[in-house]
Amino acid sequence: MRRRQRIAAVLAFVVCGALAVMGLAALGSATEGPLSSALGWLGAATGAIEHRIRDRLAGPPRRESLRWLESYRTSADRLRAPDFVLLGAYDGGAPRTFDGVLELEAKIGAPMALIQVYTAWGDKADQQFPVGLLTAISGLGSIPVLTWEPWLSDFESARHPHLPLRDARDKHGMAAVARGDYDFYIDRWASEAARFEKPFFVRFGHEMNDPYRYSWGPQNNTKEEYIAAWRRVVDRFRAAGATNVLWVWSPHVAYEYWDLYYPGAAYVDWVATGVLNFGPIAQWSRWWTFAEIYGTKYPRLAAFKKPIMIAEFGSLAVGGDRAAWYDSALRSIPGEYPATRAILFFHTRDDQTVTYQKVDWTVVADSVVAPTIRNALASGGLICPRREGCR
Amino acid sequence: MRTRDRVLIAALAGVGIAAMLRLADWWFRADHVGQPVLFVLLSLAFWYSVSRIVLGWVNYAAVAKPDHRPARPGRTVAIFTTSTSGEPLAMFERTLAACRRVRYPHTTYLLDDTRDPRFRELAERHGAVVLELLDVPGAKAGKINRALATTTEEFVLVLDPDHIPFPEFLDRVMGHFDDERVGFVQVSQAYYNQSRSFTAAGAAEQTFAFYGPGQMGLYGHGASVAIGANCTFRRIALESIGGHGIGLAEDLVTAIRLHAAGWKSVYVPEVVSRGLVPEDLGSFYRQQLKWARGVYEVAFTELPHLTRKLRWRQRLSYLTIGTYYLFGVTTPLFLLIPYLFLWTGVQPTSMRFAEFLTVGAPVAVIGVVIYVLMQRWLCDRSSERGLHWRGLMLKVACWPIFLAGTALAVVRADLPYIPTAKEAVRGRFLRLAWPQLLLMFVYVATVARVIRVRAFGTSEGSLELSAEAVWGMIGFATLPVLSSLGATYGAWQARRIPSDAPWDHVDVSAIGGAPV
Repeated sequence: MRRRQRIAAVLAFVVCGALAVMGLAALGSATEGPLSSALGWLGAATGAIEHRIRDRLAGPPRRESLRWLESYRTSADRLRAPDFVLLGAYDGGAPRTFDGVLELEAKIGAPMALIQVYTAWGDKADQQFPVGLLTAISGLGSIPVLTWEPWLSDFESARHPHLPLRDARDKHGMAAVARGDYDFYIDRWASEAARFEKPFFVRFGHEMNDPYRYSWGPQNNTKEEYIAAWRRVVDRFRAAGATNVLWVWSPHVAYEYWDLYYPGAAYVDWVATGVLNFGPIAQWSRWWTFAEIYGTKYPRLAAFKKPIMIAEFGSLAVGGDRAAWYDSALRSIPGEYPATRAILFFHTRDDQTVTYQKVDWTVVADSVVAPTIRNALASGGLICPRREGCR
Repeated sequence: MRTRDRVLIAALAGVGIAAMLRLADWWFRADHVGQPVLFVLLSLAFWYSVSRIVLGWVNYAAVAKPDHRPARPGRTVAIFTTSTSGEPLAMFERTLAACRRVRYPHTTYLLDDTRDPRFRELAERHGAVVLELLDVPGAKAGKINRALATTTEEFVLVLDPDHIPFPEFLDRVMGHFDDERVGFVQVSQAYYNQSRSFTAAGAAEQTFAFYGPGQMGLYGHGASVAIGANCTFRRIALESIGGHGIGLAEDLVTAIRLHAAGWKSVYVPEVVSRGLVPEDLGSFYRQQLKWARGVYEVAFTELPHLTRKLRWRQRLSYLTIGTYYLFGVTTPLFLLIPYLFLWTGVQPTSMRFAEFLTVGAPVAVIGVVIYVLMQRWLCDRSSERGLHWRGLMLKVACWPIFLAGTALAVVRADLPYIPTAKEAVRGRFLRLAWPQLLLMFVYVATVARVIRVRAFGTSEGSLELSAEAVWGMIGFATLPVLSSLGATYGAWQARRIPSDAPWDHVDVSAIGGAPV
């Protein structure tokens, strides 16, 4: 070979090699789940089609009872400023079934416009974008509320060599999120969220000011780090075109200085808090009225000028009159707390997230509480917007 | 095999094994355990199946083809073929005529127990010597041993009577005996009737890979086996192990004993004869039952006491062969799982269907790629390559046969030795197809129930969330049903037998004849 040929051959080899490497690299980042993601969407589509077929065969679907919600289900902007209270629930049967939600709404006579599910960050299948759950919720005619918990230590070290070892990950973990260390995960969610198109709520990193419960709390992170992480997440979603996501900022208002964790009006669509009356089951607890839990904090929540979501709403039965608790709470909301735009029943039979014993938040089996709730909702006009008529 | 091919296969197998490790790492997770007993059973069945794939690759990695060695003149060769009552005379007409045309000097013997003077007359007309061997126990192998005692040739070609040898048969084989350690030389097996029915095509397809890369891999591992037909033995080798083995798997038993006695074997991947493959489903089932029952003798009887005398690669090869028909145990389990779930909700595992497909797909893809790639080593590539879907359909449909063979082997029950039918046998459709029809019935009933329950009996709150599992399971149940269509069609074809015999169309003077 002459010199010119040799140089040409070497160049050709380098170019081909570079193309091959780049191709493989592109494939590498894309293979992080494209097949499972495609199958997830296929599964969701199968479920949706089957649901439609069933509607034809077996009569009117639940969606019909939420027809008035249709304009909200398709418009994120309308959901950013709703003019009535959306009712919703999280039920412990998820992600297996939403029958508990259906049972609850039958008992209290009000269709649940919002259905909440919880999902954690991580590598496992149920920690990926839950397109099946979201599709199922919207198939039922509701709007999904996704509580998204950034448990950083659920990512396997072997698969993510750039991350610190699991034990070391939580300390200033939110700073790492803000730096972009978790963009590999956030971006995948963002693009799938955009692909989902329909609006849904994301309650990211809730109760970030509770120093005991969650790894993203102040025991590991400064509030500046949390805010930077929040903004990073929101920015990545927006960059991916996921403007259908409504961002719900949800501090634990029982701890002081919670409002210092606010990421800013441009980054938050709704503010939220939990209102759970544990009664005297634990040392730290007693029978709290709704006004004691919510009313005292309401003015500061309302000051953000955003719709307010009561993301976890409920009372245990021990230690007081549960029916009266629900009754006064629900009757007080329209008049005293007018910025409240969503109430999500926390409805699970065996909650042991806070206490060591299982506690039961359900009301469906209670022949006094359920009708009380029904009446309180009806009298407050909370069942559905009056002007659009209810079935 | 050229180095380039070897590197390619090894690289693919390496990737495949990596994918398998990933699959294993994913499979064996505590939170994947559903019903524990079923999980254990499913895991055993599944990983047995995966291990078969790996064993296949291990075998393929050794693929080798011996260089041709010209046959030295002056050796004495006998061709043994057997006739027994009920076998069609016209078939022997072709076989014996072809034997006479085999170029290398030899003597053809007809080992006859028909008591039919027409066979003697036919044999003499074609210059074959008739050995009348009446009431010899041990079926075909018994007659071979008896004939060995009355003949003196150094080499014996055992030819199945349906096989029509080409004139160059012995010229392609005898040279390999120049190596004094070679005990037997096996050639490929091919058929001339495989296009005559679905069953024949499927049965033939099942053998292609074995007689191509399969046996070539065994040869590379020093364990190419005798397969009952078209095997040429060195007399003193047979004598060293007390004669030809007897039983349903007489060929394999003979091969393992010869290997254990230190003899080498050569596999010549050339088509130098063509014979018959079962044309009707009933005959195919009988042949498969015979094989399934017989092959276990390798695992149960021969391997335990011969294993010390074999090299490890031979051990592995014989273990692979001896456990092949466990397929009949794993398949019903795979069949059962979707129905169990769809009727009772019981699941062996809580794996998500989509995730299983994702993690399992690389293994499957590599498996198919290697299978297709290895088709370069088929004996007759132009007619044999393809995805062999008919063969696969018949294999899946045969699980009750394999299961029966396994059960009979475990309880050590004997099957009578019946030569595989040479002519199509008319079968009653229902008698042959009922297992397939039953499966289809259960399938249709199950799908109907699922549709009814999901349209009218499932609450809306669970419908979409259970869709993936339910329809995934239906998909899982659908594959064997599609597969059973093949055997059902085979049974349908077996209702009538063709008016002509396969050998009617064979012109012996035009067969073979490749230059030596």
